[in-house]
Amino acid sequence: MIDLRRSRLWIGVAIVAVLLAIVVPRPARAFGERSAFDPRVLLAGGTTGPAHLSAPARWSWELQQRTSAPARLTPSSIRADDPAIVEAPFVYWSGDTAVSELTSGEVSGLRRFFALGGVMVVDDAAAGGDGTVSPFGRSARRQLARVLPDATPISLGIKHVIYHSFYLLNRAEGRVLGPSQVDAIVRGGAAQVVFTENDLGGALARGGSGIWEAPVVPGGELQREHAIRLAVNIAMYVLCTNYKDDQVHAPFLMRRRAHAISPTEP
Amino acid sequence: MPTTRFASTSDLPTWAVVAACVLATASLLLLFVEMRRRERGGALIVVTGIAAVASLLLAVLRPARISARESVVGARVVVLADSSRSMALPGDDGTARQEARDAAIIALQKSAPDARLLVLGFGDGPPQPLVSGGDSRAPRSDLTTAIRALAASPDERPASIVVVSDGRLDDPPEATGEAPNAFTALGDELHVPINTIATTQTAPADASVRHVSASGAAVAHVPMSLRVEIGCGGGLACDELTVTARELRDDAPPALLASGLAHVKDGKAVVDLTVTLERAGARILEVAITPPSGDAIPENDHRFLTFNVARERVRVLHVAGMPTNDVRELRTWLKSDASLDVVSFFILRTKTDKTDPNSPNGQAADSELALIPFPVNELFSEHLPSFDAVVLQNIDAVEYELDRHLGELASYVKGGGGLIMVGGENAFIRGGYAGTSLGAVLPVELDRTPGATSDDATPFAPKWTAQGKAAPLLRPVRAILGDELPLMPGTNVLGDVRPGGVALWTHPTRTTKSGAPMPVLAIGDEGDGRTIALGIDGLWLLKFSQLGARTAGRGHGALWDGLLGWLMRDPRFEPAQIDVVGGCTAGLASTLRVQVLPGASDPIVVDVSEIDKTGSSPPVHLEAKRASPDETTIDLPIRALPAGGYTARLRVGDGSATRRDFACEGGGDEWADSRPDPERLRALAKASHGSFAFAHDAASIPFPKPTVVSAERHVVPLAPPWVWSLIAATLLGAHWFTRRRSGLA
Repeated sequence: MIDLRRSRLWIGVAIVAVLLAIVVPRPARAFGERSAFDPRVLLAGGTTGPAHLSAPARWSWELQQRTSAPARLTPSSIRADDPAIVEAPFVYWSGDTAVSELTSGEVSGLRRFFALGGVMVVDDAAAGGDGTVSPFGRSARRQLARVLPDATPISLGIKHVIYHSFYLLNRAEGRVLGPSQVDAIVRGGAAQVVFTENDLGGALARGGSGIWEAPVVPGGELQREHAIRLAVNIAMYVLCTNYKDDQVHAPFLMRRRAHAISPTEP
Repeated sequence: MPTTRFASTSDLPTWAVVAACVLATASLLLLFVEMRRRERGGALIVVTGIAAVASLLLAVLRPARISARESVVGARVVVLADSSRSMALPGDDGTARQEARDAAIIALQKSAPDARLLVLGFGDGPPQPLVSGGDSRAPRSDLTTAIRALAASPDERPASIVVVSDGRLDDPPEATGEAPNAFTALGDELHVPINTIATTQTAPADASVRHVSASGAAVAHVPMSLRVEIGCGGGLACDELTVTARELRDDAPPALLASGLAHVKDGKAVVDLTVTLERAGARILEVAITPPSGDAIPENDHRFLTFNVARERVRVLHVAGMPTNDVRELRTWLKSDASLDVVSFFILRTKTDKTDPNSPNGQAADSELALIPFPVNELFSEHLPSFDAVVLQNIDAVEYELDRHLGELASYVKGGGGLIMVGGENAFIRGGYAGTSLGAVLPVELDRTPGATSDDATPFAPKWTAQGKAAPLLRPVRAILGDELPLMPGTNVLGDVRPGGVALWTHPTRTTKSGAPMPVLAIGDEGDGRTIALGIDGLWLLKFSQLGARTAGRGHGALWDGLLGWLMRDPRFEPAQIDVVGGCTAGLASTLRVQVLPGASDPIVVDVSEIDKTGSSPPVHLEAKRASPDETTIDLPIRALPAGGYTARLRVGDGSATRRDFACEGGGDEWADSRPDPERLRALAKASHGSFAFAHDAASIPFPKPTVVSAERHVVPLAPPWVWSLIAATLLGAHWFTRRRSGLA
């Protein structure tokens, strides 16, 4: 009996070890994680953290699990008026209530960030499923218009690289279905501010117990998978810019898109 | 020699003398007409009339006696002797044409002992005194420039010119089409006759590459059409000749770029070859024919030509092992430069990644992914030569099967390609490059022992070396950042700098096995190409950091601009320039001109070696030291080299090397067409009212008459003016009296 128990114990340990090996992502593979993708949480306009606390870390986890990109599993946060805002090329700003007016320090900090080519994702955590923008979304757009008065958001069509930087996506999805396309402020040919009205963080958020924090409507887990894929694509866009728009990829992507649109083809 | 002669008074203009003579003659004619039918007293009237007219004429002319001491000065004749290299070709009797030229000059000197002959050699530029019996070395035969120089000279203008040549001139052109106008214009330069002597009549038995012309500027990776003109004459049987174009490559046999068959008709043929030069910079092409048997001049069967290959756009292959912030910033910079044509391949998924954790195998279907296979075999074999530079950024050579192509990459570098290896955890030692052929062309050693430390994740700020501070490629970034560099998150462990390499940044604390500070950024030359080792993955911090924000992120672009520019031999980033003054001719000494930046007094070292290392010529090592730090141009004489392609590598102090490829031709343009051209000389003589002769008949050339020069002159009137007037009045009165007596009015 003792032997049998021991063998069962060892088998259990082995199974757990294998599962851990599969599930636990590898550590970031860059010197000191400095070059890794860091979904830095932007603290600005009165926000004190992300709308979904676990979303940034899950974003990194999913990126690392699915792609070769290194990512920080413990993302940092940064105040918009902190001089250190210029020390990385990405910030993630989410919220579910209206933000207050940005201080001059915050405006100045964000301008310095954008001047260097930084990218920001504005994630509307309270967006309606029918595409209505929440007070957070409206106020964030208003404040960013003060930061970047020379540019207005435009809708990124399905041909934009953000929909095929890693996965081939046909639309934007999040915790809610929301609008099919993301908006962006494009400067110098690059999307510098990406607005998602789908609560991307809501689809990503997963608690320590391993349970998704918010149900995804109306598409359920398939929609969540699509939302995760959009998050991965955004991260890849940040790290690779328009790499997938290079001519060398064009014939492959055209064939695959055609295949996806015409499923009857062999 | 004293002489005496008579002349009219000097205060009379010539027209007055002529008018007086005409009037006197007319008067006498009238007198004879008047006296023709008269019988009585006619003789006396005529005598007195003649005396009266003569005395009146003398009264007007008032003759004087001129005593002078005079000498005869021979005419100044300039002999322009062809001193170009074509005069070393065989002439009519098998001896060199220059011997016939020298014999003709001697014959000229004998045939006109009074003439003042000035014998000058013409070739490239103004004529120079001809050294009798000396070798003809000029790379051109430009008669037009020589005659124009004589016309512009303040010296005494020659009375005539004698040209002694084989007629194979660069200028004026052959006696066809517009050439007669050119000949006439040449004669008008001095307004003196140009006499010509042809040294040679018959063409030697020779097949040659007469001329090679390109359809336009040579641009890397762009096909270029070469028009090759072939000549065959002197009785050789040439129906078809094989023509080849080969590129001389460093440490490798010449690469055949194109070949064709020339169908010779009427002694000439034209072949169009299309060649593609992959590397920019000075490239040496050998265009050759397979000569028929009996070819008397083998030196002109092939030409070594230097093409300065430009780049339309620099083609860069950017391969990254994983997407990171460093990859992002490098790609952003590469894509922002319109002069770069960037092809990128990033590894976005590893073998263990789960692209769809919810599926049974953890992988999403290919149709759901925007991923393409990494075409490693295609890229690093078929397409590699089409790139000017390759950037390998943090990529594991073993995992991504790059290791099987490292030999090709090393050959690519040696053949003139540029390579930058950018750090990261999967670069250098961890990436499997240590002990490989590619590792051997990097500018730093890599520790290949098992378990060798591959990286150090301790943050540090790189330190500038003295060479880094002086290197032109880092000058722009240094102008922006000064000595300050951002804190790097870690470094790859690199070894000592290889011979010929230069460390520009080093680690502040780590050292190599030899105890030297560990290089972080190093550059080096390898064969025909260049490599850079950058052992960090934090250059993006030149943009995204406090330092980057202070400098608007310009440091990142400035650094990469310098690195890639140096890799592509952009003159802005070269520490020095080197060139061959007046080109190189095989068998003749040449001069290398070195131009360096002012301010330093480091020794200058130049090594010249054959490009293809065939061993026919031992390497040449030259050293020089500047007289003062402000001296920027130094000429270094170099001994005679055999025909072929050469590489001159210049190093100033411990800095990086500058390379210049050049060709030494055995015959060059002057030997490309060995046929003499007496008809051109004949036409030139005719157009300028001169004479033509062959060398054996040089004495038949006419010379201008000598000039008489008076050294001392005395003018004494034969009588004072009043005496002439008195005589004229008396004789006129006597004539009047005689006429009255005879009943005439």
